[in-house]
Amino acid sequence: MEHEIYRFPRERLDALIERLGREYRVVAPVLKGVHHAWEEVRPGTPVALEYPTTLLPPRQFFAPQREVLYRYRKGDDGKAVFETPPPERPVALLGVHGCDLTGLRVLRSFHESSCGDRMVTDRLDQSFILGIACWVPCMAEAFCRDMGSLENEIPADLYAWDFGEVLLLKVLKARGREILADVAPLEAATADEMALLRRRMRVRHEAFPTHLRFPPSKLPVALEAAESDILWEANADRCLSCGRCNLVCPTCTCFDVHDVGTLDGSQGERVRSWHGCQIPGFSRVAGGHDFRPTRTQQLRYRIFRKGKYMPERYGMVGCTGCGRCFKHCPTHISIRDIFRQVGGTA
Amino acid sequence: MVPSRMIPEACRVLEAVPATSKEMHLVLEAPQQEPFRPEPGQFVMVSLPGIGEAPISIAAIPGEGTPEDTFELLIRRAGRLTNLVTRLKAGDYLYVRGPYGRRVGWEAFRGTNLVLIAGGLGLAPLRPFVRRALHRRQDFRRIDIAVGARSPDELLFRDDIASWSARHDDVHVGVTVDAASNGWGGRIGVITTLFDDMRTDTEDAYCFICGPPVMYRHAIRKLLAMGFYENHVWLTLERRMKCGIGLCGNCQMDGLYLCQQGPLFSYREVRHLKEAV
Repeated sequence: MEHEIYRFPRERLDALIERLGREYRVVAPVLKGVHHAWEEVRPGTPVALEYPTTLLPPRQFFAPQREVLYRYRKGDDGKAVFETPPPERPVALLGVHGCDLTGLRVLRSFHESSCGDRMVTDRLDQSFILGIACWVPCMAEAFCRDMGSLENEIPADLYAWDFGEVLLLKVLKARGREILADVAPLEAATADEMALLRRRMRVRHEAFPTHLRFPPSKLPVALEAAESDILWEANADRCLSCGRCNLVCPTCTCFDVHDVGTLDGSQGERVRSWHGCQIPGFSRVAGGHDFRPTRTQQLRYRIFRKGKYMPERYGMVGCTGCGRCFKHCPTHISIRDIFRQVGGTA
Repeated sequence: MVPSRMIPEACRVLEAVPATSKEMHLVLEAPQQEPFRPEPGQFVMVSLPGIGEAPISIAAIPGEGTPEDTFELLIRRAGRLTNLVTRLKAGDYLYVRGPYGRRVGWEAFRGTNLVLIAGGLGLAPLRPFVRRALHRRQDFRRIDIAVGARSPDELLFRDDIASWSARHDDVHVGVTVDAASNGWGGRIGVITTLFDDMRTDTEDAYCFICGPPVMYRHAIRKLLAMGFYENHVWLTLERRMKCGIGLCGNCQMDGLYLCQQGPLFSYREVRHLKEAV
């Protein structure tokens, strides 16, 4: 089926936010200090549709930084009973870049292939997503074109091309059309607009430099061949073990679990919160033994997980090329450079 | 919102017996919400609300030397949670979910020789293997059991060891300690010294081994030299775990999740992994 593409005057954005707000918690990129962040928006909020990648990826709405798994309360007999937190409003994301759309796909493939804990996939199912095409690299670190996420439109409900006063919106899911039709009568893109879209899409990739000489599907093999420790040591030498790369990554999924109780111990909650393989203690077991004690091993593990273990286990490369991990690394350890270097040996 | 699959079930403590100065042996009511049918080598996630949760190997499977609706754990004091768990008394509740981990079918082992090796706390996860083997004694040919501890005081499950040893017609049991003071009449030496007594046909034998990482390195080298096949030597590995269901990432070792693909592995499956042993 040919995709339906509709024209959408930008001034209707507030009406769209209003319509979505009836069912969803609407979030969009908003400038906060020096970074853009995903913030809850209302009609009138200055939403940034052209923005350098947000500090934190949208996974925060599906696998939150801190999430109550359940609450407990102890009865008179000392036995604890458990209850699940009340349902929350589903989320609508506006203006998601291809890299972050890819991150959400990876998140889904991870959670579907695991044990079937549906807390994350249910939130993904219930969400509404408006993707947006990037015309130019949003920051110098981005290498989305190399990782194949520049072109990705899944799992958006609607996908937008920004032409200033007018957005062209492609319907990817019936839900997208439904919402759009609610805001204003559907208006097909004109022949001129379609011609412009085709023209710009034909040349868009020229704005995105390539950094890698091999496709991401070759990463598992390239990494397997890169057994030389020199590469890992040179990079790990600079690592401060701060874990920022884990926290800003759209495909990191690891978490810690801890309990928060009242002082008398009668009630409380069990909480999961983001954790990361670069944070000291992550691989330490009872008794103090650490199975991955050195920064070299830890860095190698992170890169291997993104480039080899995830594609082998979940069918999708765990790096979207968003560039966050080295943009925010205090010593600028670059996954892009490491990929480029291992590619040299493949 | 769908409930988390990480909600535990309250299990009543039926007996709590100190095993050594550091370990407590717990007999527990089995979880009842779903059939509780663990296999040797599996584990449960154990918790106390407000304190935390940790993975613990199952030390006795319902119906195999233990009543149908009970199971057993051996808990060593190693942190805040286990300090409190070792203080539980009969009638208290422990919160349990599982069993988790790989289920290994025993059909392949039928008709072969078995060698069961445990060092230190490793006897807790190994105990269900021994009990399964003795429970189905006619399925196997020669059975060797080797148990090692650092000192006589740290030797676990002495009653079990005595009852296994009493079956000297059909089970070969060796016990050794690394060091002992006066009063220990048994062997002194590292666990691999017991392997010399195993007059088993290693070409047709399966070995299960549970113990600390340093023991694996020495024991496996010796077992392979004795003629065991790499895919016939099975070991249980230990990692930090926060979920038990393949999500939290703490237990990942190279591309494997210990909680799902392990913690029981054949040596062939893990020998090439940098992070295994």
